[in-house]
Amino acid sequence: MFLYLVKRLLRSVITLFIILTVVFVLVRQMPISGYFPNYEKMSEAQIKNGLHEMKLDLPMHEQLFYFYKDLLTKGDLGMSRIYRNNVPVAEILAPKIPISIKLGSLSLLVALLFGLPLGVIMARNKGKFLDQLGTGYIVVIEAVPAAVYYLFIQLFGTELLGMPLINSPGTFTTSGNTAAWILPVLSMSLGNTAYYAMWIRRYVVDESRKDYVTLARMKGMSSGKILSRHVFRNAFVPMIQYIPTSFLNTVIGSIYIESLYGVPGMGGLLVDVVKRQDNAMVLGIVLLYACVGIIGLIFGDILMVTLDPRISLTKRGGNR
Amino acid sequence: MRDIILSIQNLNVKFSLRGKTLHAIRDVSLDVYRAESLAIVGESGSGKSVLNKNLVGLLDPNGRIDSGDILYYKKASSASRTTDESVRAESCVNLARLKKEKDWLPIRGREICMIPQDPMTSLNPLKTIGAQLYETVKLHHGMNARQTKEACLSILNDVRIDLPEKRYYQYPHELSGGMRQRIAIAIAIACRPRILICDEPTTALDVTIQAQVLTLLKEIKDKYHLTILFITHDLGVVANIAERVAVMYAGDIVEIGTVDDIFYTPAHPYTWALLSSLPQLCSRGEPLLAIKGTPPSLFKEIQGDPFALRNPNALNIDHMFMPPYYKISDTHQARSWLLDPRAPKVSMPAVIDKIKHLGGTADAV
Repeated sequence: MFLYLVKRLLRSVITLFIILTVVFVLVRQMPISGYFPNYEKMSEAQIKNGLHEMKLDLPMHEQLFYFYKDLLTKGDLGMSRIYRNNVPVAEILAPKIPISIKLGSLSLLVALLFGLPLGVIMARNKGKFLDQLGTGYIVVIEAVPAAVYYLFIQLFGTELLGMPLINSPGTFTTSGNTAAWILPVLSMSLGNTAYYAMWIRRYVVDESRKDYVTLARMKGMSSGKILSRHVFRNAFVPMIQYIPTSFLNTVIGSIYIESLYGVPGMGGLLVDVVKRQDNAMVLGIVLLYACVGIIGLIFGDILMVTLDPRISLTKRGGNR
Repeated sequence: MRDIILSIQNLNVKFSLRGKTLHAIRDVSLDVYRAESLAIVGESGSGKSVLNKNLVGLLDPNGRIDSGDILYYKKASSASRTTDESVRAESCVNLARLKKEKDWLPIRGREICMIPQDPMTSLNPLKTIGAQLYETVKLHHGMNARQTKEACLSILNDVRIDLPEKRYYQYPHELSGGMRQRIAIAIAIACRPRILICDEPTTALDVTIQAQVLTLLKEIKDKYHLTILFITHDLGVVANIAERVAVMYAGDIVEIGTVDDIFYTPAHPYTWALLSSLPQLCSRGEPLLAIKGTPPSLFKEIQGDPFALRNPNALNIDHMFMPPYYKISDTHQARSWLLDPRAPKVSMPAVIDKIKHLGGTADAV
C-alpha cells in the first residue's frame, strides 16, 4: 500500500507537469494585444518593451525553462500583471484558498450529512409519500436554475432570520463569525444534497434486492439492522467515485454564491484571469486545481479500497 | 399418526400485476411432518417458490394471501390439539396472519430459515465469512465474543469447510461456489431453525459439487433434526434427498407421495409426462420427450383440470370440473379424474417402468 502511494504520487507529479506545460503553451497562443489594456494607443517600441518585461519575447522553451526554474527553486509562481499589477500570484491566492476550501468542504459535508439520510429514507419508503416528496425536492433542485433558489434563500435568510445580507470585507475569515457562513454553505450544498440523495437512493434500492439481503432477513435481522450493517456500506461504495469531483467543483467555488454573499473566494477567478490574459495567475490557479483534483482522486481510491475488499490497488487483474 | 410441523390449509395467493390479478397459489393444502425432507417439484412458474416465500414472509409487495391458513407448530402438534386455548396459542402460529415485520422476526431464522438459490450472490461481498456468521450466532444466542467465535468455527466444521480458522477471515470472493453454498448453509443452521427451506440449492453448482452439498444437507438434517423443504425442478436431486415429493402444476399440488410412490407408481398424467422427459430414460438416438404446450395462464380462472389441454389422455370431464384428490395409498394421493372408478383405464407410459431398471432404486435417477 505504501509503495503504491509513492508510485501514485510520482505519477501525479508527471501529470502535473503535463497539465502545466500544456496550459503554459496554450495561454501563450493568445493575441499579444490582450496583454495591454490600451494596445491601440501604444507605439511599437512600447509593446516590445512590455513583452520583454514579461519575458514574452523569448522562445517558448526558454520561457518554459524560466517558469519551471522559478517554480521549483523558489516556489515562485510569478507576478500577476493585470488582475492586480505586480503582486505575486501566491500572495493573491493565499488568503482565498482557505476560504474556498472551507466553503467547499463544509458544503460537501452538509450535502453528505443531509443527502445520504434523505436518499436512504426515500429508498426505504420507495413509492410512498416520503419518496415522492424527496423526488420532488430533487427535481426542483435539478430543474430550476440555481440562481432562483439562491436568491430565494438569501431573501428568506436575511428577511426572516436576520442573517447578514452582504458581508463587509473582512467578515469571511476561516475562524469565527459562524453566522456569515450559514447561508453560503447551505446554498452551495443544496445541489449536491439532491445529487447524493438521488444516487444513494438508487444504490440502496439496488442492493436491497440482492440475495444477501434475503439471507440477512432470513437470519431474523430487523430491516433497520440490515440497512446499517449490510446495505448502506455496499450502496456507498459506488458513491465514492462522485466525491472527488464534487469536492473539486465546490472548491472551485460558485461565482454566483460568492458574489451574492461577498465571499472573497476563488469563484469565477479562473475564467476572469483567462479572459484578461493574466498568464501567471492562470497557471497558479491551474496548478492549485490540478493538485486538489489529484488528491481528491487518490483519496477516493483509498476510500474505495478500504470499503471494498474485492478491489485491490496493487494486484494486477485481481479476483472477481 | 406422524407429528405435523407445518400445515398449509386451502392457501390462495394472488398478485396484482398491471391491473390484473394473478392467482399464483390455487387452494393448496399440504402437511409437512417433523424431521422429514419434502421436495416440491414443478416447472418454472408453477408456484413452488411463491408457496415457500409465504412461509418466511417474503412475498413480493404486490402479492397477498387471499385466503387460507399456514399453521406452524413449534411443539408437537398433539399439544396444539388440546382444548386449552393458551397452550394452543403458544405452540401454534398462523403464518398467514402475520403482517408486520415485528411479527416475523421471531419466526425467521430461529424457526424457519431459507437458503437463497445462488451462492455467488447470497453472501455480502464486503464482509468476511466470519463477520457474517458471527452476527448470525450473536443474534440468536447470547454468548460472549470468544464463545461466539468458537461456535462459528464449530459450525464451519459441521458444514465441512476445511481450514475454518483461515476461512473465517476470508471474503466471499476468495471462496469457490461450493464453499460459498456451504457458508450459506452454515449461516442458516447457525440460526438453529426447525425448518430449513432450500430454494434450488444446487442449481447454480456443477454436478460434483451438487452431490457434495446434497450429502452435506443430509448430514446436517440428521445432526440438527431439521425439517427440510426442497424447491427444485431437478428430479435427480429429489430422488437423492427427499423422503416425500409434492408435484406442483399451475399453482396447485397435483400429486403427493413418498419418493417411491412418485417414481415407481406415479398416478397423475403430469407426473407421467415429467418423468417421461427424464433424459436418463431416453434411448440413444431418439429425441428427448418434451411436454407439449404451455401451462395455463394464471390470470384467468381455470376451468377444470389445468393440465387437461396438454394431456393426451384428457377426458371430457377434465375440461369441465377440477378433479378432487384421490387416495391411492396412505402416503400417496393425486388430483386426476383418471383415478375415478368410472374413468376409462389408462395406464402410465411404459417408459417410466425403466426407472426401476436404472439400478433398482430411485437414487440412480
